[in-house]
Amino acid sequence: MYTIFFLIGIGLFVGVAAWFLFIWAVKSGQFDDPEAPKYRMLDDDDVAAKTAKPLERQEK
Amino acid sequence: MSASETTAAESVRCDHCMQETGRDTAVTAVIDGRKRYFCCHGCLGVYELVNSSSLEAFYRQRCDWQPGPPATGVKLRSAHFTDTVTIAGDEHRIELLLSGIRCASCVWLIEKFLAKIEGVLSARVNYATHKAVITWSGRKTKLDTILNAIRDIGYLPHPAHINARSTVFAEEKQDLLLRFGTAGFFSMQLMLFTSALYAGFFQGMESRYRVAFQLISWALATPVLIYAGFPFLSSAWRSLRRLTLNMDVLVALGALSAYLYSIAMIPLGGEVFFDSAAMIITFILLGRFLEAGSRLKAGNAMAELAELQPHEALLLSENGQTTMVPIAAVNPGDRIEVIPGDRIPLDGVVIEGEAEVNESMLTGESRPVLKAPGSDIFAGSFSMNGRLTIKVTGNSSTTLLSRIIKTVEDAQARKAPIQNIADKTAGLFVPVTILLAFTTFLYWKLSSGSTVTALLNAVSVLVIACPCALGLATPLAILVGTTAAGKKGILVKGGDIFETLSRTTTVVLDKTGTITRGKPSITDLHDFARTPAFLQHAASLEASSEHPTALALAGAWDSDLLKVDHFRAIPGRGVSGMITGESWLAGSEPFMKQEAVAITPEERFIAAKLEAEGKTVVMVACNGMLAGVIGLIDDLRDDALPLIEGLRKKGLSIQILTGDNRGVADYIAARCGITDVQAALGPLEKAAVIRELKAKGECVMMVGDGINDAPALTEADTGVTVGQASGIALESAGVAILKDDLRLINTLLDSSSKCFSVIRQNLFWAFAYNLIALPLAVTGVLHPIISALLMATSSLVVVSNSLRLKRI
Repeated sequence: MYTIFFLIGIGLFVGVAAWFLFIWAVKSGQFDDPEAPKYRMLDDDDVAAKTAKPLERQEK
Repeated sequence: MSASETTAAESVRCDHCMQETGRDTAVTAVIDGRKRYFCCHGCLGVYELVNSSSLEAFYRQRCDWQPGPPATGVKLRSAHFTDTVTIAGDEHRIELLLSGIRCASCVWLIEKFLAKIEGVLSARVNYATHKAVITWSGRKTKLDTILNAIRDIGYLPHPAHINARSTVFAEEKQDLLLRFGTAGFFSMQLMLFTSALYAGFFQGMESRYRVAFQLISWALATPVLIYAGFPFLSSAWRSLRRLTLNMDVLVALGALSAYLYSIAMIPLGGEVFFDSAAMIITFILLGRFLEAGSRLKAGNAMAELAELQPHEALLLSENGQTTMVPIAAVNPGDRIEVIPGDRIPLDGVVIEGEAEVNESMLTGESRPVLKAPGSDIFAGSFSMNGRLTIKVTGNSSTTLLSRIIKTVEDAQARKAPIQNIADKTAGLFVPVTILLAFTTFLYWKLSSGSTVTALLNAVSVLVIACPCALGLATPLAILVGTTAAGKKGILVKGGDIFETLSRTTTVVLDKTGTITRGKPSITDLHDFARTPAFLQHAASLEASSEHPTALALAGAWDSDLLKVDHFRAIPGRGVSGMITGESWLAGSEPFMKQEAVAITPEERFIAAKLEAEGKTVVMVACNGMLAGVIGLIDDLRDDALPLIEGLRKKGLSIQILTGDNRGVADYIAARCGITDVQAALGPLEKAAVIRELKAKGECVMMVGDGINDAPALTEADTGVTVGQASGIALESAGVAILKDDLRLINTLLDSSSKCFSVIRQNLFWAFAYNLIALPLAVTGVLHPIISALLMATSSLVVVSNSLRLKRI
């Protein structure tokens, strides 16, 4: 009987979690540059790993 | 005859910057077993460096590169940057604004190149904002190394000084993104429960579920209205308090009435419309967000331009000592020194020294310009090879660069008259709509007796009437249109100018310096062979004169000049002097007569023939005998004929106005096939001709070089200057084409008419939608949800229609 409310609760929880994720993404600048990433993924190179690491550290 | 006349067949593409350059003047080098061409040593240096760092994939990858020179030759001082560095332990971090980024591959190149430097921890370049964030270990490397590495590969770092304008834009954009995202998330969740409620409405639903779903809907709609809709609510409140109604009042009214009505319906067991309230806000926020994005981009471009102007200058004191001072401390009349490779900090006049100066950031012309004592010099350009002493003529806010920036900023703020119409309509629209909604409510209340139906229809009217498509129609199209034009080097000062341009019926062209080169060149040379090398003598004589004809003659002789004694210049007539003991004269025919030079009928016939062709005739005499006759003409520019042809195809009538004499004017007119020519006009007479045309009902576009045409440019409906960066040109003309290419005038006319047809389509759609939907809402045919959906569609139509202008 109360299954539906339980499910709604889960649904809302997931939704709100996604919203928080979105807020985090905006605040940490994930949406600042919508242009470059689409080209960046085409670069096949060896240095990528080197530049990526410090950035991850920075975000923590 | 001169270097500028190299034809396309003799030119090659620079392997680094992809600009065309003469095959003979190009710098060549053999790299990887292939001969490569470069337009300058700067490009060669960058190419070698990129190649030796095994990053040459850059040249294969770049596909959207706009040809243009690298930013080089400027000395970087890390002292200018230290205030923007943040230090955490050993980790240093700096934010830089980079100029010279032309494509996405540039981002790749900079990141890879910096990553190879020992001690650099990370380098991230933002392609949208041209900002770089670099972190490095303070023990292993220095800021100087990093800055100069960036410069060496052809980009120029500027300290990312907190620029108030673009920071505000960036914050506004982030704020809108958060609000729009929030509104979007909650609206989506809301739709789930709303569709369940709709299903329940048709199929029946247990009341406790319905109440529960309605309560959840309420909970989900509240953040959308209160947080995401806050900008509308506060703006509407402000506008109500000032009694000036704007469009936000309608938005707020529509959303609030749907929201409050729904709350009231929960205990009464009626239907709720929280989703309409949330949807209105979500869709209008989307429009605002898109607009903020393009404003941010424009703001960043301006910030980059502003950073070209140095913040410090080398002040020269009376006793010849130099001190580094901030530019605010330099007064007009002070002397400053510029060392090779430095940017010029302030506008002024050169008083000492000679240097080739790169003014590409101001004019788009990549070839350096020679500056000698007496030349005007502009802030932001940089000296490539010489030391200059400059007398400052203004302060940092009157420089050409800052005026260009201000012009553009003003243009972005100026509204087209057509948009004022939209705003005025909104002022009228709001009370009418409220009245209409109220009447609708009363009518349904009285006729059906049901408050629910009455309120529903009234809300429907409010939602439908919200003219957000109307509000978006004009500014968005103009914004997209002017930005696209700006990318091609066309500065349009405002939306109103774009509008007038699209109505142009007559184009008036100035001759000298606009459709002609502005510099006469020698076409005929009649040497009567009485003296050897008469051209050498004539050139030596004319070299001391400043007259354009004299300059052309002097320029035609490129080897040694002879020494001239007793030089005398008679303004408007000619020059005379002694060369190796002989008396030489050069000048017009009356001058020869005055000096009693014998002219034979045959010689007179040659001169008369040249004059009939519209040429300027210079006679050269030696010891009272005529030595030769030289014919010069200021010929048509190569791009003048394509321009005129393009204008004719558009069905515009074309006129030429000139201060020159009849013969020259007729010659040029015949060359381009124009019959309507008026010669020997002064600056004010040109303006009078335009006033006359306007009185006849013509919409006049004037193309001029900006200095003697200034009155005419202001008088015309739209003034256009081409390739001129003089301050007067910028002030008097509505459109400044920075690139020296006349064909851009056709592009300008095309884009303005395209822009206005898009605006007309937008307005038609917005009005048509309101006209059709309003009666339906009043009669109660439309459910509020359908009206909200319709409204959103109409906004999206307007937005996507405007975005078509990106490709012009």
